[in-house]
Amino acid sequence: MTIIEPVESQTKYTGTRVRRTEDPRLLAGRGQYIDDVTVPKMIEAAVLRSPLAHARITNIDVSRARAHPGVFDVLTGQDLATVAGQQPVIWFPIPEQRIAKTHALAVDQVRWVGQAVAAVVAVDRYVAEDALELIDIDYEPLPVVADLDAALAPDAPKLYDDWPDNVSGSLTYTAGDPDAAFASADLVVSASFRHGRAFGCPLEPRGCIVNWDTFAGSLDVWLSTQSPNLARDLLAEVFGIPVHKIRVRTPNLGGGFGNKFDFYGEEVIAAVLSRRTGRPVKLIEDRAESFVATSHSRDQRLDFEMALRSDGTILGLRGVSYGVLGGAFGTVGSGPPWASVLTCMGPYKIPNMDVTVKAVMTNRSPYGSYRGWGVPKGNIVHERLIELAARKLGMDRTEIRRKNFPAPEEFPFFTGVAFTYDSGRYADCLDLATSKIDELGWRERQARARAEGRSVGIGYSFHVEPSAYGPSRILNLVGLAHSGFDEVTVRMDSIGKVTIYSGQINMGQGTHTIYAQLAADTLGIPMDDVVVITGDTDSCPYTGYGTGGSRAAPLGGAAILRAGERLRAKILRIAAELLEASPEDLQIQDGQISVKGTTGRSVSTRDVGDAAYRRLLNRLPEGETPTLEEVDVFDPPNMATSYGCTALLVEVDRETGTVSLLDCLQAHDCGTVINPMLVDGQLAGGLAQALGGALLEELVYDEEGQLKTASFMDYLLPTAMEIPPFHFYHQETPAPDIPGGIKGVGEAGPIAGVSLVGSAIDDALSDLGVAVTRFPCTPPRLLELIREAQSRKEGSA
Amino acid sequence: MKPPPVKYARAGDVQEAIALLTEHGSDAKVLAGGQSLIPLMNFRLARPSILIDINRVRELDYVREDNGTLAIGAMTRQRDVETSSVAAASVPLLPEVLRHVGHITNRNRGTVGGSLAHADPAAELPALVTGLGGELVVQGPNGVRTIPAEDFFMSTFTTALEPDEVLIGVRLPRLPGGTGVAVEELARRHGDFAIVAAMAAVHLAPDRSVDLVRLAVSGVDSVPVRLHAAEDALTGGRPSAEAIEAAAATVADAIHPADDVHAPASYRRDMAQLLVKRVAKAALERSETKS
Ligand SMILES: Cc1cc2nc3c(=O)[nH]c(=O)nc-3n(C[C@H](O)[C@H](O)[C@H](O)COP(=O)(O)OP(=O)(O)OC[C@H]3O[C@@H](n4cnc5c(N)ncnc54)[C@H](O)[C@@H]3O)c2cc1C
Repeated sequence: MTIIEPVESQTKYTGTRVRRTEDPRLLAGRGQYIDDVTVPKMIEAAVLRSPLAHARITNIDVSRARAHPGVFDVLTGQDLATVAGQQPVIWFPIPEQRIAKTHALAVDQVRWVGQAVAAVVAVDRYVAEDALELIDIDYEPLPVVADLDAALAPDAPKLYDDWPDNVSGSLTYTAGDPDAAFASADLVVSASFRHGRAFGCPLEPRGCIVNWDTFAGSLDVWLSTQSPNLARDLLAEVFGIPVHKIRVRTPNLGGGFGNKFDFYGEEVIAAVLSRRTGRPVKLIEDRAESFVATSHSRDQRLDFEMALRSDGTILGLRGVSYGVLGGAFGTVGSGPPWASVLTCMGPYKIPNMDVTVKAVMTNRSPYGSYRGWGVPKGNIVHERLIELAARKLGMDRTEIRRKNFPAPEEFPFFTGVAFTYDSGRYADCLDLATSKIDELGWRERQARARAEGRSVGIGYSFHVEPSAYGPSRILNLVGLAHSGFDEVTVRMDSIGKVTIYSGQINMGQGTHTIYAQLAADTLGIPMDDVVVITGDTDSCPYTGYGTGGSRAAPLGGAAILRAGERLRAKILRIAAELLEASPEDLQIQDGQISVKGTTGRSVSTRDVGDAAYRRLLNRLPEGETPTLEEVDVFDPPNMATSYGCTALLVEVDRETGTVSLLDCLQAHDCGTVINPMLVDGQLAGGLAQALGGALLEELVYDEEGQLKTASFMDYLLPTAMEIPPFHFYHQETPAPDIPGGIKGVGEAGPIAGVSLVGSAIDDALSDLGVAVTRFPCTPPRLLELIREAQSRKEGSA
Repeated sequence: MKPPPVKYARAGDVQEAIALLTEHGSDAKVLAGGQSLIPLMNFRLARPSILIDINRVRELDYVREDNGTLAIGAMTRQRDVETSSVAAASVPLLPEVLRHVGHITNRNRGTVGGSLAHADPAAELPALVTGLGGELVVQGPNGVRTIPAEDFFMSTFTTALEPDEVLIGVRLPRLPGGTGVAVEELARRHGDFAIVAAMAAVHLAPDRSVDLVRLAVSGVDSVPVRLHAAEDALTGGRPSAEAIEAAAATVADAIHPADDVHAPASYRRDMAQLLVKRVAKAALERSETKS
């Protein structure tokens, strides 16, 4: 007879491709997005936006709009400023920086096309838009600062009269002795990189419904946001209303991508209109408005140089990251261009650095959060420069990378500028990617194509993604006026079912699914027994920051694991009383608690719930508090840095400058993979956005500061037709500082994908020596590069 | 993105549509598939006071061939033409071109007449009709008239249609059997309006000399352009790389491209020339010598 040891299956859901619990409702079209929410007596608002990039408002006449049938109220900046403060800014990374603040409605001056200048609230949105046409505004045009060069020109017109120029501030980080490193280098490569303006463009634009109850002095807010707690704190700041009188609820989000992290003027406008009319006010940003009114991002120039030894060892890096900000600060100020500087060394050991961020104001829409948050441009710096160096040194592009990685035993690894990466097996990840390139036969495909005279190239990008933002005190230290911890409540009820309450927001990542997976595994219960509640500040706990910085899985996940551990212990103590056993001898499986290694009596979580809530007598151990609830607050001791190696196969048409994406793979390490399907989804979606940014998407302004790409006809999101097949491979190196070993994964794709395209195009055109430095790389731009290179080659031949 | 107030009337037949147009004059707009008109209204760029819906005018929904002419009703959905065996047999360029017009969902609603009446200079169908020497059939209070394509398209979004006229159909000459056709489109994404689109139809005589060439481009002028000089350069001789080069060399003078956010004029000019070469070559390769 064989004795079979009872198998203890600790992890049942974690690591498996569990289907998303969120999906059936959304796929059936029964999701509830902000515009699906109606509140009794609600009326609808619309915003009038500036047609000019820079002008003084000399007169506003709202009388005709006010008289229009169906109109309840018309609001101007002057009116708003009497009850609302300026729009808050939470990131101040640059010491002594000048902060350009503005009210939700322009008071006397407009500084970008699309800046809100007045608002109407009416019986419905149609009438509100009709009335907008009846508002008469006189503008006195001012000289326009249309782009970075115009802003920095010595005699540039100024956006803010009391500033000496258009520079908000700058900050330099140094490490080692950069001058000596550059002086002694065998090779210096340099380039001026440019990334055009882009934005996250969630398919559901922003929106809110605000009810200002003047009797209670309270605000009841429905908001399509990634950060309800932040919105609540900031509404309190703007209006001077106590935080506990503000409730923010969040329905389904049709995408956020960082854009819905930020706090916008429309929330404030709707609140003021509600206060003035005594009615709940809905204010939806429509698609057309979204191009000027949702945070823009990415707009940066990065002038950088890298010093190397002839063997490929990087000695130094120096340069300036210019953040091309808009006419006023968004919620996160100059945070993203600053983050580019923090990550411009990427996964490489660079002992000597001199790197600067310079934040510059222009007459464009405000700059804000977008998935990747500056790191994609840090990636452009290190990945493009290391490839230029490899080319000059005649080195293999993967070898030069490998040579400069910190070894696994060198972690925690201090980059020299702010971040300490927690852990990494970079070379293994690179090997994984290159082995898959071989397996997929890309090199043969490339060789065959080349033999046919076609230009096929393979691109690489090795990226780091600092995730799990972040240790609260460190965030405060580097200039964030907010925290980074996450709080969860794990509650088992009187029949043994579990509810998780979290301050995180689910905007498509599948947070509810992974939270249920983690809770089910720590508690030993079926996933079906777990419900996850998010999106209501009245019932859900506080999260520092919001859902951004790839923090929902590592921080919320860790908090669930820690709360779950304690709750599990309590469940076992109560079960021990019921089973007359010792808690240490018990196990929970599938919601049944029994003595390990026996097939004897068991009790269920239902029995435990009953003992904790209803029939306590002789069942709840003496001294044990009734109820089954644990709260955990997890403030991480360090961030968790995930990383990956991405590769792309492209074909370039040398006669037209068009690029076709043929195949794409990513080898990735985000520590413990909770759900491979969801991680793949994050990687794929993020890469698609990056490929859009690399080739298609650009918010183009003309010299008058007019936005030329203000609809989906001209702002070109990639579609399924443009996106290559994706292959993903996971390497799991648990995060040392995060319980559960989880690292974030939300921003991997956007970070990796832009430089990746440059690398692949360069490779396809390697005989010409083309170096892509400007994104998006549009057909006319690429054709110009090709022709320049061709004439250079002919000239030298 | 809410349109201004607008009245709505549904026409049961062409006569009724014309009567409504006559009554309301230039304040009225015909509503066909709505794929261009409705977005323009949502942006408040088009502000008709009344929409005259001709979607129920069944008499304008047909694809048929008679006497060597392919006739298509104005209200025929683009997708129906794309999948029509009659159209494919008569003018094989049609389905190839239509595949470049937006996405299937747009073509399910968008009509042939709507695309032609809208007259977007980058649109493919106007270029096809112009290139093949088609005719537009319009009807107004004074009856029916026929307008050659090159006279119909006058400028960006501007045609020879009078405000009280309805475009009722288009007529295209049948391409002889064995005609090779090709389309090349340079667009930023699949389904976008063309930066440049070029299309060609080429027929070879039994002696393998070129006896019919039709070449057209869109996106490079305020109207679609038929490339007469390029056609002449190819016609009569044997197909050769030199002949194609010579034909392409005439393109720059035939077009007047403008700068826009997607491409400068110089790029459009160069690409028009390149795509003409490509389509001429491909059409020649696909043409079969039979009568
Ligand atoms: C996402 C998207 C992508 C697109 N891509 C392309 C593309 O790549 N290429 C392209 O060519 N088009 C493209 N379009 C436009 C599309 O092809 C439209 O179908 C076409 O331009 C108009 O046809 P419609 O039937 O929808 O006309 P409507 O929008 O109903 O009308 C357009 C105009 O024509 C007038 N009109 C319509 N029918 C008649 C008639 N019988 N008599 C008189 N006047 C009439 C209307 O009054 C209106 O002014 C795209 C559209 C969308 C939404």
